Amino acid sequence: MSLDPIQVMKGPDPIPNTCPSASNGESKASWEDSKDIHENTKKPKTGPVRRARKVEGGIFFPKPENAVTIAVSSRVLFLTETEQKVFEQKGVEEYLRYQVEHENEPFAPGPAFPFVKALETVNARLRELYPDSEELFDIVLVTYNHAHVGVRLINTINYHNLFIERFCMTGGSSPIGYLKAWHTNLYLSADAEKVQEALAEGIAAATMFMPEKEVEVSETQLRVAFDGDAVLFSDESERIFKAHGLDKFFEHERENENTLLDHGPLKGFLEVLGKLQKKFYAKGHRLDCPIRTYLVTARSAASSGIRALKTLRAWGLEIDEALFLAGAPKGPMLEKIRPHIFFDDQMFHVEGAREMGAFAAHVPYGIAQKYPHKKSTNAGK
Amino acid sequence: MEDTKNSLIIALQHHDIFDLESPNADTEVLPKGIAFSFIKAVHAVNQRLVSHNSSESLGFEVILIANECSEESKVKIVENVKHYGMEICKFYFCKKDEVIKTLQSNNVKLFLSTDSDEIYKALHADVPAAVLYDQTGVLDQLKVTFSGDIIGLPEDSLDSLADLGFSEAQIKTFKSAKICMKEFAGLIGEMRRRFGHENSPLCTCLITVWGSRNICLSALKTLGGWGLDVDEAFCMAGAPCSPILALVKPHILWDGGLHNLRDVPNFEL
Repeated sequence: MSLDPIQVMKGPDPIPNTCPSASNGESKASWEDSKDIHENTKKPKTGPVRRARKVEGGIFFPKPENAVTIAVSSRVLFLTETEQKVFEQKGVEEYLRYQVEHENEPFAPGPAFPFVKALETVNARLRELYPDSEELFDIVLVTYNHAHVGVRLINTINYHNLFIERFCMTGGSSPIGYLKAWHTNLYLSADAEKVQEALAEGIAAATMFMPEKEVEVSETQLRVAFDGDAVLFSDESERIFKAHGLDKFFEHERENENTLLDHGPLKGFLEVLGKLQKKFYAKGHRLDCPIRTYLVTARSAASSGIRALKTLRAWGLEIDEALFLAGAPKGPMLEKIRPHIFFDDQMFHVEGAREMGAFAAHVPYGIAQKYPHKKSTNAGK
Repeated sequence: MEDTKNSLIIALQHHDIFDLESPNADTEVLPKGIAFSFIKAVHAVNQRLVSHNSSESLGFEVILIANECSEESKVKIVENVKHYGMEICKFYFCKKDEVIKTLQSNNVKLFLSTDSDEIYKALHADVPAAVLYDQTGVLDQLKVTFSGDIIGLPEDSLDSLADLGFSEAQIKTFKSAKICMKEFAGLIGEMRRRFGHENSPLCTCLITVWGSRNICLSALKTLGGWGLDVDEAFCMAGAPCSPILALVKPHILWDGGLHNLRDVPNFEL
C-alpha cells in the first residue's frame, strides 16, 4: 500500500464511448440523455413557443433545457458576511433596511465568483466556435432574498461586469421548485439545508467556502475537481469502509472490481462538462481546451482505484487527470491544480482544501454526513 | 363597509366567479370558478387590514359585472354570492357592449378577466385591466404580479419596440398598461406596508420576461418610486416563463398581454 500520491494522466487514448458524441449544433437528444440524474424532470410543454434569437453583438440567451444551467445563490457569488450578521442578529426588517441603505455599494466577490468568471470564459470560446449553438453555460442567480436586495445585487453584477441576466428572488420561499423549472444542472449555495433538499430532488448541489489563503486561478481554463466516492460515485464503498474498516473495504473493491459503481450526485455534471469538452475537441482544440477535469480521490491507483477508472470508462466519461492519493491529504495536490471548484462529500477534506487556498465545495451526500471523518485516521484507501 | 375613500375597486365577471361551463351549472348552487381563490384571498387581506387598525380606510372592494343575463340568471347569481358568503359590494347587469362604460363610470381600479381580448379592449379604453390567472388557489396569500418589461422600459423605448416587430396597437396597450399600473401599484404598495415581511396576506412580485437585468433593475426602481417595493422578482431574459408562473401562482398578472406573445426577440436598454 503506497502512501505516495500517484498521478495518472488520461491522454487522448481511444476509450469506448457509450455516450453519443456531441459535435457542432447537435440534436437535442444528447442533452436530454445527459440529464439522467433528473429522473423526475420532464420538459414542460410550455404554451407560447419562444426561440432565443440573436441580438446585436451576437450574444443571446439560451433556452434553459439546452444549456448547462448553473444556479448560484447571492451568498456564494458575493461576500455578504456583514449583511448575514445583521440578518442573524437583528432580524429580517433591519437586514432589508441595511441592504437598501447600502444599495449602491457593490458586494465583494465570493467563493463562486472565479468559477462563474471561468464559465464565462468558456462561453466566449464556445460562441466563437459555435455561434448558433445554445449549448452554453447559463448562469442563474437563485436566492431566497427579498427583491429589496435586488437593486443592490443587480448593481453589483453590473459593477463586476458579470454576464448574468437571469434571476429568481423568491422573497423567502424555497428556491427548490425554481431550480427544477430552470433545468438546473448544478446549484451552489451557502445553505446546507437547501443544498440537501436539492440533492434529494436529484439536482447536483454543493455549499461553497472561501479559501483561507488568497490564490490565483486560471483565467483561461475552467478547472473542476471531483472527489470520487459519494460525489461522482455512490457512497456504497464509503459505507463499507465506515462500517467494517479498511481491510474489508479493499476486499470488497477487489471482489467487485468489474462491477460498476453506482452513480453519485455529481456524475451528471461531469457528464455535461465532458460534452462541452468534446465540442472543443471536434474543432481541434483538445490541447488547449478551456475545460479541464480532475478526479482527486483517496483511493489508491494500484488497487481500489481500478474500479473507479473502469466505472468512468463504462460510463463513457473522460476525466483529464485522475489523482489517486491513497489516503494522503488532498490539500497540497489541490494547491497545485488550483481548481475553480473542488467537490468533496467530507467536510474534513473541504477544510483541508480551504487551508491550502483551494475553492472547495461540500456535497452533503451519503454516509459521511452521519459519521464525519475523524482527524486522527489517515489510512489509505 | 367602512369609509370607502380609499377603496381599491376590483371588477370581476360572473363567468369567472362561477364555472358556467361545468355540467353542474344547471343546479341551484353554481360551481366555483377561477376567481374563487382570488376573492378568498382578497377577503383575507381586508380582514387583516382591519384587524391591524379598526378604522382602516384602505381595502379592496369587489364588484360583479354580468352581461346578457336573463332575469332568472340574475337572481341565481345574487343568491349564489350570498350562499358562498362572498363579499361582493355591487352588482352590475348590463349589455355586452356596455361593460367598458360600466367599468369607467365606477372608478374601477382594476378589471380582472381571463379573456385577453377583453383586457386588450379595456386597456385601449384606458381602463386598468389585468389577467386573472388560472390557478388552483393553493395559497391564502393574495399574489399580485407586475410586468418588469412594461414598467422597466422608458417611454421612448416603448416606441422603439415597433422596430422589433410589435404593432402600433400592441405598443399602445403597453403604454396604457404602464399608466394604469402606476396608480394600482401605489395603492397596493400602501397596503403592503401595513404588513411585515413575514406572514403577510399580500405578496407582490415582478416578472421580467424579455428584458435584460437592467430593464429589471429599472422596473424595481420605478416601482419603488411609485411606492411599491416588491417581495419577489424574476428575470427570465427570454426563457419560457410558464414554469415560473406555475410556481409563483399569482392571482393577478399585469402584463399587457406580453406573456402570450410568440417569437419575440430579446431586447435590452
